[in-house]
Amino acid sequence: MKQLPKPPKWADHFLQWFVDEKLLEEIQGDLHEAYYHRIKTEGLSKARWKFVEDVFRFFRPYAFEKYSDTKQFLPMFTNYFKIAFRNILHRKQFTAINLLGLSIGISAVLLIGMYLQNEWSYDQATPDQAQIYRLSMHLRDQLYAPISFENYQQTSGIEQLRLVNFLEQQDGVESAAHIVPSDSGVNGMQRAYVQVNNKKFIQEKFCFTNTGKEVLDIFPQQFLLGNSAAAFTDFNQVLLTESMAARYFGKQWANEPILGTPFIYDSLNYEIVGVVKDPPSNVHYDFNVLVYMPKVPGWGGYTYLKTIANTDILAINEQLNKEIAVFLPSLSENKLWKGFRSLALTDIHFTNDHLYELKPTANKAYLKIFSIMALVILLIIWTNYTNLSIAMYADRQKELGMRKVMGARGQDISFQLLIEAILLTLLCLPIVWIFLQIGVPRINELLGWEINMDILYSFQTFLILLGILGLTGLFSGLYPALVYGQKSMVKLFGATLTGKPGKKLFNFRNSLVTIQFTLLIGLLSVTWFIHQQMDYINNKDLGFQKEGVVFFNMSGGEKYQQLKNELAKFPEFEAIGTGIRPGAEMYNQLTYKMKGSDLTLNDGSTVYPDADAFTALGIDCPACQALKEGKKRIFVINRTGAEKLAKSINTTPEALIGQTIVLEPESENEENGFGYPYTIAGIVDDYKYFSLKYPTQTLFMHVIQRPNWTSEVLIKAKTDNWQKTIAKIENAYKAVEKDTPFAIRFLDKHIETLYVAEKQASYFMAGLSLVAIILALMGLAGIVSYIAFNRQKEIGIRKVFGASTRDILWVMNKDFVLLMLIAILIAAPFAIYLTKQWLTGFAYSITVNPLIILLSGGISLILVVFVVSIQSRKTIDKNPIDVLKY
Amino acid sequence: MAQLGYLEETVLLLILVMEEEAYGFTVSEAYKKHTGKSISISAIHTVLSRMETKGLIESEMTGATEQRGGRRKRIFNSTNQGKEIVAELKAARQKLWDQISFLS
Repeated sequence: MKQLPKPPKWADHFLQWFVDEKLLEEIQGDLHEAYYHRIKTEGLSKARWKFVEDVFRFFRPYAFEKYSDTKQFLPMFTNYFKIAFRNILHRKQFTAINLLGLSIGISAVLLIGMYLQNEWSYDQATPDQAQIYRLSMHLRDQLYAPISFENYQQTSGIEQLRLVNFLEQQDGVESAAHIVPSDSGVNGMQRAYVQVNNKKFIQEKFCFTNTGKEVLDIFPQQFLLGNSAAAFTDFNQVLLTESMAARYFGKQWANEPILGTPFIYDSLNYEIVGVVKDPPSNVHYDFNVLVYMPKVPGWGGYTYLKTIANTDILAINEQLNKEIAVFLPSLSENKLWKGFRSLALTDIHFTNDHLYELKPTANKAYLKIFSIMALVILLIIWTNYTNLSIAMYADRQKELGMRKVMGARGQDISFQLLIEAILLTLLCLPIVWIFLQIGVPRINELLGWEINMDILYSFQTFLILLGILGLTGLFSGLYPALVYGQKSMVKLFGATLTGKPGKKLFNFRNSLVTIQFTLLIGLLSVTWFIHQQMDYINNKDLGFQKEGVVFFNMSGGEKYQQLKNELAKFPEFEAIGTGIRPGAEMYNQLTYKMKGSDLTLNDGSTVYPDADAFTALGIDCPACQALKEGKKRIFVINRTGAEKLAKSINTTPEALIGQTIVLEPESENEENGFGYPYTIAGIVDDYKYFSLKYPTQTLFMHVIQRPNWTSEVLIKAKTDNWQKTIAKIENAYKAVEKDTPFAIRFLDKHIETLYVAEKQASYFMAGLSLVAIILALMGLAGIVSYIAFNRQKEIGIRKVFGASTRDILWVMNKDFVLLMLIAILIAAPFAIYLTKQWLTGFAYSITVNPLIILLSGGISLILVVFVVSIQSRKTIDKNPIDVLKY
Repeated sequence: MAQLGYLEETVLLLILVMEEEAYGFTVSEAYKKHTGKSISISAIHTVLSRMETKGLIESEMTGATEQRGGRRKRIFNSTNQGKEIVAELKAARQKLWDQISFLS
């Protein structure tokens, strides 16, 4: 009998799994009996088959949970709530700290989520966004966001519209429009005077267009006054944003007769035809005033087209490239021309290889790092709460044992623990909401972000918040629920059978602790690297003198000379120059080669300074002496460029002086055949003309004795009273310039603004790291107090046998030290990878030193030992008599 | 009078016949022997539990045996109500049978 083979194991297990435990005994018994009976009568294989068949025949509602259980379930349910609340109230302090930590953590995660959501939502709200594209032009090796007009600025309004008109004739194009924002790469005018309501205002962020209706069609605006149909019926009309209306007409602008009011700009009269809502922060354009005029001021326009649904944009693009001679003949003949591209509207914010983009594009490295940060914090929260709840439920074992004695099943206990954990986390909901309510506007202000508060009030956010909290509760409750649900009653009552820490190094709890340590070290070292990099950028030798230099806009060589003469009277002005202003945005780059060489290089930018600009910036230009001796114009290059060119013809940089370089050798012209030749008059040491995000590239400097065209003026002054000095400059400025307001800035301040996004992001990351570190330490404190409590008898005995406090502290700490060492090993590769990711955004960066990770580990270890010791101290100080009494 | 299906009736009668030995497996075996048709244990279990809810039979967990791996069996016995129903059934049928001429 005993030798008979058992029924198929898997089927038996399956049966045990699905059958209600109350029915299991009889059903399994019957099936086994039938099985052994059949072996005798029908043979083994048939019996096995029939056993499996029988098992599956039981797989039906009858054998599952009895429905009658629900009747007992409801009163139990209220009991769970009651017990949960009593437990919360029982440990007020513990719960408060827990909830606070959880709320801070979740708020941080949600904040990151809101930031990411804001980035991803760029241009998504525009109607039919999937059908809207922006054209870009591919010229030389670069992509340009605007499309140039025929003959650039020297063009008529009709000519400007050629491309747009051509687009509108294409099949599948619904409408096409272009805009020229005043602070964009095609215009360069940042501010101007306007006269409204008999007052004069300095106005920024104009947006010019001569395709008014089409702009409103592609980018519909929300009208607060007037309407879309009545707007832009004729040229010389303007739309104001809500905030501009408030600026011109006061807060009660809605009561003023705004429509039809004249708006005087550039001594021309415009008519105000409407007030629209401010453009939201998450669109790629921005404006305060939208101006509809016959000819737009700029060398090109940002060109958009809206297609009819299901139109192949590539076909339209191909058509454009084929027929470019029709609407842009000079561009089509340009040897550097490489064709049009179409960029989907929603991709604009995530494409960062276009020159003259309207708004800073998303930094993908940040999106990645922030997402990882959010995940790290979530992980910390989850491990924390799992750890803490294990500790918390440990001294409730008797209660759970009692429940089992009274007839609670394993799943009842599990269910109760889960409910309790979820309930506890849901208490955070209002706290998190209040935190964000207060925090988001401050963070927006501090970091220059534009997180829309509306997201906070959306149902979606609420659901996400609920989801995160629910998951947190679930994770924190799951382990205790499973463990205590399955423990036998005897074990629940016998405290001695549990809590033997230190036996197995990699039990569940220690694994969680290791994860936390890893995150702690990772965060600490990444923050450290970021700090190092920011420090490096701030103290990097830029190759020029930025202190004591101011600059401002001014156009016109004649005005510049007048200003220069005027200021020459004062001894404090050491140099007044124009043509280069470091900290520039990257602009178009030229191809170039040495005459006679075949190797063409393609990374040269051109500037047109005068010699005084070099003096103002403290840049040494030996060749500029020639200008003082009467030469009108010389051509010098920077050292990086000289080295590259020298390499191309196998000579030394110094040997290049006097030789001829050809710029844009592909370009055909009547004068020189191909390209534009210049004789290199000298070499200037490298200085950082662009942001440090770009590597130093070749710079061509046409140094001009007396520039007849200027954009910005640089002044180096030696003064103790900048206020007075600036007043002097302003007086001189106003004497020559009437239309454009005076706006002066310090060069060093301006250079700082180049890295402001990085700086803000590094602050944010430092803040997040701090939150994460505090959370991790809080979690650790909870675990240690639990471990110490569990080991108090052991500690008592050690003390009786004469162990000193130091010995016991070492016993408590040694596991954590070991875990920390393991964590350092795990954290190192992640930290290095993340840092390198971030550093890809910089051309000049620190080297990632692994020692920093070791140091971060050391600091973490000190923090951990500190927390562990403080927590254990409470137990160690207990009198052994009290501990060992029972 | 409670309604009894054919299967229920047969199982109830079998329980009465088997006296103290009726549980899932034996009932299914007895059914096979009696009717010549095989029936799955799960079907028998369903019928038994349904009749228990109707109050026709009652059960008790006893008698663990080795074949069952030490598991107890649920022994079913008819309640008085069950016996009454069987008696009523028989009486009703008898009345009909008595009127059938070729049977007498």
